[in-house]
Amino acid sequence: MAKVELKNLTKKYGEVIAVQNMNLTISDNEFLVLVGPSGCGKSTTLRMIAGLEEISGGEIFIRDQLVNEKDPKDRNVSMVFQNYALYPHMTVEENLGFSLKIAKVEKEEIEKRVRDAVQILGLEELRKRKPSQLSGGQRQRVAMGRAIVRRPDAFLFDEPLSNLDAKLRTQMRTEIKKLHQKLKTTIIYVTHDQVEAMTLADRIIIMKDGYIEQIGSPIEVFTKPANIFVATFIGSPPMNIIEGDVIRKENKLIIKIDDEINLECPQKIQSSLENKNKIYLGIRAEDIMPKETSDYTNSNWCFQKSINLAEPLGTETQLFFTIKNKEIISRMYNPKDVKVGDKINFQIDSNKVHFFDAETEKTIF
Amino acid sequence: MKHIKKISFWFLVLFLLILICLPGIWIFVSAFRPNPEILSKPANWIPDRWTIHQFTQMFSINGYVSVPAFKYLMNSIIISSVSTVIAITIGMMGGYAFARFNFRGKNKIFLGLMLARAVPGISLSLPLFILFAKLGIINTSFGVILVYVAMNVPFTIWLTDGFFRQIPKEMSEVARTDGCTRLQAFWNVELPLAGPGIGAAAIFAFLLSWNEYALASIITRTVHSKTLPIGMMDYLDEFTINWAGMCAIAVVMIVPALILTFIVQKHLVSGLTFGGVKG
Repeated sequence: MAKVELKNLTKKYGEVIAVQNMNLTISDNEFLVLVGPSGCGKSTTLRMIAGLEEISGGEIFIRDQLVNEKDPKDRNVSMVFQNYALYPHMTVEENLGFSLKIAKVEKEEIEKRVRDAVQILGLEELRKRKPSQLSGGQRQRVAMGRAIVRRPDAFLFDEPLSNLDAKLRTQMRTEIKKLHQKLKTTIIYVTHDQVEAMTLADRIIIMKDGYIEQIGSPIEVFTKPANIFVATFIGSPPMNIIEGDVIRKENKLIIKIDDEINLECPQKIQSSLENKNKIYLGIRAEDIMPKETSDYTNSNWCFQKSINLAEPLGTETQLFFTIKNKEIISRMYNPKDVKVGDKINFQIDSNKVHFFDAETEKTIF
Repeated sequence: MKHIKKISFWFLVLFLLILICLPGIWIFVSAFRPNPEILSKPANWIPDRWTIHQFTQMFSINGYVSVPAFKYLMNSIIISSVSTVIAITIGMMGGYAFARFNFRGKNKIFLGLMLARAVPGISLSLPLFILFAKLGIINTSFGVILVYVAMNVPFTIWLTDGFFRQIPKEMSEVARTDGCTRLQAFWNVELPLAGPGIGAAAIFAFLLSWNEYALASIITRTVHSKTLPIGMMDYLDEFTINWAGMCAIAVVMIVPALILTFIVQKHLVSGLTFGGVKG
């Protein structure tokens, strides 16, 4: 249970920068998720905290102690790996007790802590089994148990659910969340799955090419993405990004999407767009709603398009159409039959549209 | 038709088996019969009289020793065991280093080691002889051990490197976050997992030393350092050859080698790491 602090943390492999000047404070008991596409430096960051990767620059503090020069064994953090990395030659019990045995903890104490961990994770029946006799989910549980018995200052999870099938992943996700609530420990969790990040995290860090793109609560990064990258990375399906020209017409600002769609700029954003000619609009699929009106005159942000593809998912149907050769997705709740080629009227919720600068790709408003 | 095909196939297999095993069988049979019978023409396939005379004489149970086979056997055991222990210890560490660490010139050094294996040992015999003579270690067990260690280290490095590579590196990483030093992680986790592989490499190294003839024939001179393969030549006299004695000493050589080969065979089938990682 401890605070973890990273100051100007940098990792370079030759000329390649894996992590650049990362500054971050992870507070006590926080569940922090590092998320990003592969190669963004999230796993490297985690491995540097664990001490498995040498750092090229900066400082790491765990429990206010500088640990740069400390071996992994002296950092008192536990790591759970994607491939579980259970010791194949030991039983579940031995796997769980191994770290305590190495630390020369008394036998009764080891037994007690292993018993506790086994209970917490529901592994009672499997105590005497070897890892090869366990299913994927059970192995994952043992790997977590091994981390728990040490009572570390922080847990480090490196994509722990990636090897599980979809159903088990959802189940284990809930278990990890419950475990955090039970143990009240600092957890740093790495994943490339934004759903995992959203559901688990107290705070999400979105990384790209070794840099932090945004830090915030799940709701924050979803509703107020800092830039196009975050906007398209968080949320499923990804946010629609549409290019638009800013045109001045009779004292009004018009956003011209294509020949058919010209949208009147909302009042609140007009001042921000005044000296721009081009912007990107970010609209989530649920904010482009099919409307049963005959109004497709662009007033109230309505327009009409013909459908290329409809994917019924039960509670909703995702409608695909194109604007300027870019595929746009709309979510239709209260599904009804839609055929390819059908002309459908849509309305964009202009209050929920995100505006991004065309050059910096950062949020304007 | 199908049956004929099957039967003729098995006959072919039997024929080939006999062809391969015949020299071995002949050695075993000849070791247990009197010398004149070996030379009889036509060949006498099944001995008229079985005897362990050659063995009793070889191990001097009757007090008379023509060939000090027991001493040779001890030399062989000591030289092969010591050289194997040293070679596998160095080889294991080398193999681990090649499998786990990145260092400058890694591939070149590895290639160099493999090239060293490609040099025919016998071509080194003369330089070795001169060098050892000057160092004063000719005709000593130490000298032979030195040669066998040099011969076996590249081989054991190559084998153990492969075995360590099969163990996911997360194994040692998780052990290190579990509170192990690098050495403890190696000792408690990676070594037990690579154990069967290392054992197999050790047995291979032992067999190479046990059977080696060419270099030993140059650097061993007397009973102090001669190994069994070299000792076998003691049965060659100026005018006679004691075939039965030779066969007997060959049996003494073959039996341990055969047993060890069976052990290797069993250990090479190792699925031990399965289950530790995803599956």
